[in-house]
This record gives sequence, structure tokens and C-alpha cells, in this order.
Amino acid sequence: METYKLSTWFREYGWRHLVGLTFVVFSMYPILYVLSNSFADFPNLENSKLIPGSFTLKHYQSLYGDPLVPYFKWLFNTYKIASLAGIFNVLLGTFAGYAFARLKFRGRRVGLITLVLIQMFPAFLAFVAIYLLFFQISDIAPFMGLGTHFGLICVYLGGSIGFNSWLIKGFMDTIPESLDEAAKVDGATDSQIFFRIVAPLARPIIVVLFVLTFIGIYSDYILAAVFLKDTNLYTVALGINVVFTDDFSNEWGSIAAASVIAATPIAVLFLFFQKQITGGLTAGSIKG
Amino acid sequence: MKTSTILKYILLGIFNALMFYVVPLAISYESWFLLIIIGIITFLINITYITNKLKPLKWITPGFVFLISFVLFPAGYNFYVSFTNWQTGHILTKTQVIERLEDLTYSTEEQKGVEFDLYVMQDSNLDFFFLADFDQDNLLFGRAVTSDQFEDIEYATHEPSFKDSNNNITIPESFYLLSGKEQIANSSTLQDLSLLVDKNTRIKLYNISVFGASSGRIFSSQQKYTYDKDSEILYDNRKNVACTLGDRGNFICGGESVDPGWRINVGTENYQRIVDDQRFRGPLSTVAKWTFQFAFFSVALAFIVGLLLAITLNNEKVRFQKLYRSIYIIPYAIPAFISILVFRGLLNPDFGLVNDWLDPLYQLFNIEPIRWFRTEESSKAAVLLVNTWLGFPYMFLIVTGALQSIPNELIEASKVDGATPRQSFFKITFPLLLVSISPLLIGAFAFNFNNFTLIFLLTGGGPPIVGADVSVGYTDILISFTYNLAVSGGRGVQFGLAAAVTTLIFFLVLIISAISFRYSKRLERVYGNI
Repeated sequence: METYKLSTWFREYGWRHLVGLTFVVFSMYPILYVLSNSFADFPNLENSKLIPGSFTLKHYQSLYGDPLVPYFKWLFNTYKIASLAGIFNVLLGTFAGYAFARLKFRGRRVGLITLVLIQMFPAFLAFVAIYLLFFQISDIAPFMGLGTHFGLICVYLGGSIGFNSWLIKGFMDTIPESLDEAAKVDGATDSQIFFRIVAPLARPIIVVLFVLTFIGIYSDYILAAVFLKDTNLYTVALGINVVFTDDFSNEWGSIAAASVIAATPIAVLFLFFQKQITGGLTAGSIKG
Repeated sequence: MKTSTILKYILLGIFNALMFYVVPLAISYESWFLLIIIGIITFLINITYITNKLKPLKWITPGFVFLISFVLFPAGYNFYVSFTNWQTGHILTKTQVIERLEDLTYSTEEQKGVEFDLYVMQDSNLDFFFLADFDQDNLLFGRAVTSDQFEDIEYATHEPSFKDSNNNITIPESFYLLSGKEQIANSSTLQDLSLLVDKNTRIKLYNISVFGASSGRIFSSQQKYTYDKDSEILYDNRKNVACTLGDRGNFICGGESVDPGWRINVGTENYQRIVDDQRFRGPLSTVAKWTFQFAFFSVALAFIVGLLLAITLNNEKVRFQKLYRSIYIIPYAIPAFISILVFRGLLNPDFGLVNDWLDPLYQLFNIEPIRWFRTEESSKAAVLLVNTWLGFPYMFLIVTGALQSIPNELIEASKVDGATPRQSFFKITFPLLLVSISPLLIGAFAFNFNNFTLIFLLTGGGPPIVGADVSVGYTDILISFTYNLAVSGGRGVQFGLAAAVTTLIFFLVLIISAISFRYSKRLERVYGNI
């Protein structure tokens, strides 16, 4: 009788856990492997295994102090670029979203359709033109030319502002307009309505879009690769992939440690905002 | 006036001043496109903030300035570049090329015979100085420099004070005179140095003598090319020929084109290469085909895995659902560039974990281990495997969401009508699922169509296709292929051609989006009234 019960259970639910667990192994194995390897005392990739049996911090320590591999400089650069671009992105995006959601004006429809159309094309597609454009800007305004963080931030700003204003506009549409009407009756100006009523109420979407923009820029490779030439100005994506991979096997420990440091904050941020982000997924946004 | 108004005008003034500073520079570099964009932005910002009538623009302009400058404008500029021959050898504008050519010099041979005494010394900064005892009236002294310092150095001066009354050389105390041996020790540095006499004449150390004074020689150089603006003729002064304008953006001197050339409009030539040139079209169509296959199979595999998991776990009686869900989302939370790097290690054919795992299978069936990344098939398999790992969490999430939004009554009703679980899945659940997620699937297709990061970081496009006219590999997709053309191709950069391929990608993305739009409209019509 007992075996009969077990097989029924298996036919009903057990196989589900079997499939589920298979994919738990599939998704977690590489992650745990890198995590354990970053603390393990192996000479190279060939001798690595999942459960190391030795513990060392030397791979993390090796990321310090080598002037040819300024790992923490790259991390700092990335955080700087991604947060500045992210902040200005949502700021300017919120302004534009507000105008499209609340102010009635001629050309509003055309503007909105333009936003939707632009959003279909990833900004990096025109990387050849962006490169040549900044190649010329370098002559005229060197502070924002090729190889500068300022120029790169400008490109990132342009790249996601259309998309963000569109989503913010959509969110603001759901904020009841009667709130503004009431404030208007009391004599509030447009900017008072924006700063005191609409923007605070739109905070959830603003925070999520900041996080998404931040993660998107953090993970970008192609524009950073086109733009940055000086190793000291690299972002972490560029640095890890250009510098470490010269001697892949023997650098494996450092690669693992660098990966753990670069991935952890982003993964935590993502998991923390998971609900809001995955809610936005069905609205059509795809993480890069 | 209110303080905010004053502040506004001050900021506006600073902005305009900056723009007026930039305009002449843009003109001098012939950056006409840049000039257009500067004009548009300046106009937009002024009209927005000077008049009080365009209230909405005040909110929109700041963001749109960036959108116009760095998204819309590059798209248009890309189109323009695709009609030029902007590539290695044709990077500069015509004016810049002429400037560069007129800077070139060549050495004239005749005067090389004259030799004279030359003294080498160093000051306290260890900079080298030459003293040339040329003749009675010319005891030339000055800093000796390498050719890249010619621009900002002063010419040598006649210094009679370096000789005493007996006509012997005396060196001031602030300088140290190098002996012959010391000169030999420094000879590799010294041979690159020259003392400039005038624009076209310089003195170099010719022969180091260990016992007496070393000797120097005069070298004179002449401007190699002179350009006549009115007749548009470039004269080659050395060969004494007149060079005419070629039709490819070069000067032609006696049948040979002069490097560098400048960029010119070449019409549809780049597009013709895409269509006609067999050596280019071959690799390009291979790449285009794989791009579609890659995007399709990436979406299909991730979707199948995501769907399988969602259906398996979407049952109230299955325990630990939340735990499963939070584990599956982790691959999606990690930046792709890191996961890809890690997979490069895991799939390493010699030391990687995956081949270690598969080793028993290799032994059992007595087959060669897979040489990941070294053969076409294994590279393509690796790309798809990694992309499934990266992509299935997203599919799992959206399918789960869509499944939960399908009303349970529909399934119940079909059961009442006698449908088997299989029937109700394929006839009801699955079609409804497709309605809600097909735009997202097409979005995922478009994303993978341009998934540069995965291809570039995992395989670098490799393994290379041998014998192709351009640098291209079996796993290259259109965007990584374009990147190689524009940035790191083996045969110099080809911006014009790369821009033409990008324009092609633009249109493909446009078509995909249009299909997505029509498809979701049609599905809505079919299933919308359930």
C-alpha cells in the first residue's frame, strides 16, 4: 500500500520536483562554482573543483594594488557613470513624462508616437555614427570627446530617456487628475503641481526606472568599448573582459573574485526590486 | 525681476556664449553635421526659455536635447556615413589632408658633404645641447631635439662667447661636455637629435670621435608638396610633377594616388558592395542567416524551458514554489557580461568543468571530447546553451504571470465539456498564453537579434571563417560583424561600409517590429472576445 501511495505522489507531484530540482542545479551550479572558486587555493582553471577543501582570500587581495589592473578604479568608474546617467535620466524623463501626461498642447500625439518609434531601436545600433560624431566633438570640445566619461554619460542619457519618459507618462496617467484640479483651484502653478503632487506620487516608477537604467548601463559593453580607450577609465565590464582574459586559465582565481565583487551588488539590487521589475516586464521592458 | 528669472537669463547667456565659442571651431574642422545639431539645440533651448508661451516645451526640452543629439541625430548621421568612403586612408577632410601633405618634408642630398666639429653637452636637466663650430661667423648653439619637438623649439643662435681669445672652445659651468666614450654610450639617443638652424635646415651628429671633437653635418629639408588653391593642383616638389584630383578622394601624382586621401560621397557604392560583391556578400549572407537562426533558437529554447518549468510548478499543491521561483530568477539578476565570462571558463575545452563532466560519456561511447569554441558546431551550441541559461528565467517569469491571469473557469468549463487535460492545454491555455506573451517573445527576438554582448564576449564571433574577404567568424551576428568592420577589422576600419550594414539592421528591426504589431493585433481580434 505504501509503495502505491508513493508512486501516486510521484505521478502527481514528485516529477514536478524532479524537473524543478534539475533546473535548480542547472541555474545554480555555475554561480556556486565561481563563488567557491573565488575563495579556493587552486593554481589555475585546470585544478579547480566545486568543493575546494582549501580557503584563501588571496584572489580578492590580488585585485588590489596592481597598477596595470586597476580593478577598483573600474568599479568606481562604473558606479559613477551609471549613477550619474541614471539620476539625470529619470529626472529629465520625469519632466518630459509630466508634460505628456498632464499638459495639453499641439504636437503631443506626434511627440508620443516619436517616443514609441524611437524606443523600438536600440540606441547602440548607431554606434558607428556615435563614434564618428564624438571623434569630431573631440576636436571642438575635448572635455566631452571620445574617451571621456562625460561624453559616454551623454550617450547613455540619450539612449534611454525616450523609453523612460514613455513609461513615466503611462504611470502618471494612472494618478487621478482630480488631485491637480484641486490644487489648481487653490492657485498652484504647474511646477508646484509637479513637485508637490505628481512627482512624489510617481516615486515607485521613478525608483524602478532608476534601478533598471543603472543596471542597464552597468552591464553595457558595446558603447563603453567604442568610447573608452584608456585602461584607467574603463568600466568594469570592459576591464574584466579586456585585461583578465589575456591569460584566462592562470587568472581564473582573480576572474572568479572579480566576478563575485562585480555581480553581487547588482544581483542584490535586482532581487530587492524583483517584484516591481518583473511587474514592469509585462509592460515590455527587457533587461540588457 | 524675480531671482529665478535672472538666474534663467544668466544660464541661458552662458549656454549661448558656449555655443558661439564652439561654432567657429566646428566650421574650422568642417564638421557640418555637428554644426547643424548645434544650431538645432541652440534654437530649441532659446525658443523654449525666452518666450513664455511654450510651457510644455520647458518640461520636454531638457530630455529631448539628449534624445535628439545622441539618438535621432546619430541615426541620421549613420545614414549619411553609409554613402561615404569613410575608412582607413580616407579618415580626414580634404582641408586636413592638404594641411598634412604640406607639412611633409624631404631631405635634399647635396649639402651632406660638409662636415664640421660638433660638441655634445648636457645641462642639469640632462637635456642635450649641441655646439656646432660651423665657420668663423657661425658658432651655433641650442637644444638638440627629436623630430616631434620641432614645432615648439627655438632655432640655434650664434654664440661667440663659447670661444676664448685663443679660439679654443670653453664650456660654461652650467653645462657638461660629453666625452667621446660617453657619446658612444648615448649614441642611440643622440642619433635621433638635431639642432634646428631654420625651418628647413638642421644639424645632426654624424661621426663620434673618441679622441678629438665629433663631427656634424648639415641636413636640409624641403617642403614635399605645395598646394595651389585656385587651380586645385598639388605640386610634388621632389619629383617635380603636378598632381591632379582623383575621383576617389585622393591626389593622383603621375598615375599613383597619394596617401592620405579624404572622405568623399561615393553614392550607393557601399550598398552595391552588399548586393553585388561576391566576396563580401558571401560572408554577409552567412552572418545574416545565422543571426536569424540564433535569435529564433535562443527565444525558442528559453521559452520551452520557461514554459516547461512554469507548467510544472504552476499547481497550488506543489510545495516550495516560492523557493523555486527565487532560485530561478538568480541567473537573470547577474549582469550578463559576468555570467558569460564564467561560462567561458566552464566550457574551456582543455580545463573546463563541462568537459570534465562529460568525460564518462566520452569514455563510454569512445568519442573525442568536444572542442568547445574551436569548431563551428560546438561554438554555436555553446552560444545557444549559455543564452538559454541567461534567458529562461525571463520566460519562466512571464509565462507564470500569463498562466495565472488565465481565468480558471475556462479550464473548468472545458473539463465539463469532456476535454482531456492535454486538449484543454493545447486548445485553450496555450493559445491564450500566446496572445498575452507573443509581443514579449518578439521583443526577445529583437533583443537577441542584436545581442552583441553575448557573441562578442563568449566567442568573439569565432571560429573565423577561413578565406573570407573581411574578418568574420561562424558565430558572428550582424551587429558584431559590423563592429569588426568599424572598430577592429584586420584590414583597417571601414566606417562607410559598417554604416551601410547598420542601416540594413535598422530596416530589419523595423520589419520585425511591424510584424510584431500586426501579429498582436490579429491575435487580439481572434482571441480578444473570449
